[in-house]
Amino acid sequence: MTTVRIFFEKQGEAAYVSLLDLQRVFHRALKRSGLPVWYTEGFNPHIYLAFCSPLPLGQESVCESCDVKTAAEPPYGAAWAAALQPCMPGGITVTGAAAAVHKAGEVAAARYAITLPAAAAPALAAYNAAGSVPAEKKTKRGARVVELKAAVPALSWQGRGDTLRLETTLPCASDGENLNPALLLGALQTLAGEAGAAFAPWQCRILRTALLLPDGTPFC
Amino acid sequence: MPELPQSLKQALSLVQKPGRYTGGEPGCICKDAAAVDVRMAFCFPDTYEIGMSFLGMKILYELLNAHENWWCERCFLPWVDMKAEMERLGIPLYALESKDPLTAFDIVGFSLEYELCYTNVLAMLRLAGIPLRAAERDGRWPLIIAGGPCVCNAEPMADFFDAMQLGEGEEMLQSICAAVEAAKKHGWSRERLLRELAAIPGVYVPAFYDVEYEADGRFKAIRPNRPGVPPKVTRAIVRDLDSIPPPRDFVVPMVGAVQDRACVEVLRGCVRGCRFCQAGQIYRPFRERSPAVISESARALCQNTGYDELSLSSLSTSDHSRLEEILDAVNAWAPGEHVSLSLPSLRVDNFSRSLVEKTTRVRKSGLTFAPEAGTQRLRDVINKNVTWEQLERTCRIAFSQGYTAVKLYFMMGLPTETLEDIKGIADTCQKVVDLYYSLDHAKGRGVQVTASVACFVPKPWTPFQFCAQDRREALREKQRYLLSCVRSRKVKVNYHDSATSVLEGVFAKGDRRLGRVIEAAFEAGACYDTWEEFFDYDRWLAAFAACGLDPDFYNYRPLGVEEPAPWDHLDAGVSRRYLAREYQKALRAEPSPPCNRQCSGCGADKLLGRPCF
Ligand code: SF4
Repeated sequence: MTTVRIFFEKQGEAAYVSLLDLQRVFHRALKRSGLPVWYTEGFNPHIYLAFCSPLPLGQESVCESCDVKTAAEPPYGAAWAAALQPCMPGGITVTGAAAAVHKAGEVAAARYAITLPAAAAPALAAYNAAGSVPAEKKTKRGARVVELKAAVPALSWQGRGDTLRLETTLPCASDGENLNPALLLGALQTLAGEAGAAFAPWQCRILRTALLLPDGTPFC
Repeated sequence: MPELPQSLKQALSLVQKPGRYTGGEPGCICKDAAAVDVRMAFCFPDTYEIGMSFLGMKILYELLNAHENWWCERCFLPWVDMKAEMERLGIPLYALESKDPLTAFDIVGFSLEYELCYTNVLAMLRLAGIPLRAAERDGRWPLIIAGGPCVCNAEPMADFFDAMQLGEGEEMLQSICAAVEAAKKHGWSRERLLRELAAIPGVYVPAFYDVEYEADGRFKAIRPNRPGVPPKVTRAIVRDLDSIPPPRDFVVPMVGAVQDRACVEVLRGCVRGCRFCQAGQIYRPFRERSPAVISESARALCQNTGYDELSLSSLSTSDHSRLEEILDAVNAWAPGEHVSLSLPSLRVDNFSRSLVEKTTRVRKSGLTFAPEAGTQRLRDVINKNVTWEQLERTCRIAFSQGYTAVKLYFMMGLPTETLEDIKGIADTCQKVVDLYYSLDHAKGRGVQVTASVACFVPKPWTPFQFCAQDRREALREKQRYLLSCVRSRKVKVNYHDSATSVLEGVFAKGDRRLGRVIEAAFEAGACYDTWEEFFDYDRWLAAFAACGLDPDFYNYRPLGVEEPAPWDHLDAGVSRRYLAREYQKALRAEPSPPCNRQCSGCGADKLLGRPCF
């Protein structure tokens, strides 16, 4: 049995598709495609599928992936993508499928491109100037304060018309350290408020551009 | 893919389950707006979750979009949080596919499935920036139309619509779209278009009729006010269901709809003739689809959507004369394609072991039946031909198959009902509990019997249209009495407050003057009336008072057998004479046979143009 990793983009309106909904979408797309994927055994067999480091609601990505199992021989690639695409909602584009090289647990970090309104510039400068930027992280076990500067010591950005664009890498280990870019955005909003130049989350766009291994090479 | 507008992104970032407002679901149809001739927004005046479970929309969506030059899109009532954000940010109500505001459409059509959604319709028009009343709109506004079962008494909502469809939409709505296409092509005036529409079988144009009332406020007559307008509008039906195969694809919701599975309509109408049931009367006559068409469409639907659960739907699926053939045909492919079959609305009187075995996924935990009344006498009155022996036999099979929970549906406030009948509800439940313990059952596994008790609402086009509705105080009294009759913890009673049923009864039998009340209540904040937390009975009473109308006049007063009714200019199929006859039989507790055994001469066969069986 081979684990096949299906890569897809999740953008635009698909940003509002939750993980639970996404599971149903993939389940149906796989079923409809007739691809030879493995069903779990038992009274109520269903397609085995697992998403690697799924994205929080409202964020976008060009590097999402979903693992399935198959007894079929490679190649999977374009044929699998073409079979899956017709049943996908707007904003989800299947970009490829290949035998998984790494284990899902090997993901250590994610790279993001974040777009902000130009008004956020003072907040970014304030972030870089600050000695410490704490953020409250809510988990199932309660809230905990994390130091953002430890993960991201400095931000660099470029202006583009009335928006700013910054790129950053944040820890994204499934069972270890993990930092949701929304936390960084929240801290920037607080700083912006203090600097008298508030902006709102809906003016920002978080796009995940890559999942990375501990050595910084792409996860695939 | 077009980026969502900033204001919409802002609203979406602030509301629960934003996926309800983004569209783009698998199976949704996008066309080039500039390249189509007719654009229709199909509006369901309730939430996305409820509307996306509605089969009628899926049927018409596929039929209309099959025309290359027409584009039908979907629109739902946003939930409270989203509605508030849209109002605050000035986002007009839009259709999900194109995100274009409703004002960009040629036709805005509403499905009226239940009376309590009337204020939701007004809320959607208001959110779209469209004037509520037809009289306030000229040809520059979209044509605002309605369909659905509530049109069988169109009057309470008549002021708001340009045209209303009585009956089945498959052919009628296509004719309407064709007329709109012609109107645009030839530059017809709104009046000219409405005249064309009035000539389509089943289409009612309220502005073409004037209503008269008696001095005491009773309805007197409704007559056309222009030449060439039919004095009676006859319900449109699809004579041969196989001529319009069921949908082969659905828009598959991503945010959980109430009914989220493949669904094929196997028959239309009902042979039973339950006297309280409007659907059983207004969808007559009974028509079936053939097993081959059903199985083949179901297979295509499952393949196209990826659904792994299939349900065969209708008012009474087990009445299909070739049900076993259908199940065999479906079972020939379903297991291999990982599709399981579920049958809703199994009937107590023909529930068989073989049926249970052929439905591969019946949820073993719960089973529902609807005896509707607690005593045999009252079941004879309402013509619900179910006996205790049948119920017992069914429960015996079900218990032996491992079921441990039974839900029984009853009604309260039925004509001729006494406290004896109320006690009968508790007794029936207790007998089911006793039956369970009299049989071999798994050790330690108890049984749970739930009685769900609804308040009966007399509806037009039923033999009980002549009855007055039970008063709230009387219903409350009966509810208390029922609870006092329940002695076992294995029996649970659910019932709803009757205030919404009062309003339902008023609108069901109301006349055109109620349009003012609906508007006044809406302007005072009424909306989401089916949701208990938003329903405010006092606000409604204030609206009635402000309009000088008495709600009791509509639902607490019996309708004379010869008395004119606000739906007399509509012909749903069954005749007034038949309804009166059935009413008299009801008072004598005399049942009537189902249509497939013996015709009761209801008159609906004229819609078919031949005998029903
Ligand atoms: S005409 Fe007779 S068979 Fe046909 S629907 Fe009416 S009662 Fe039933």
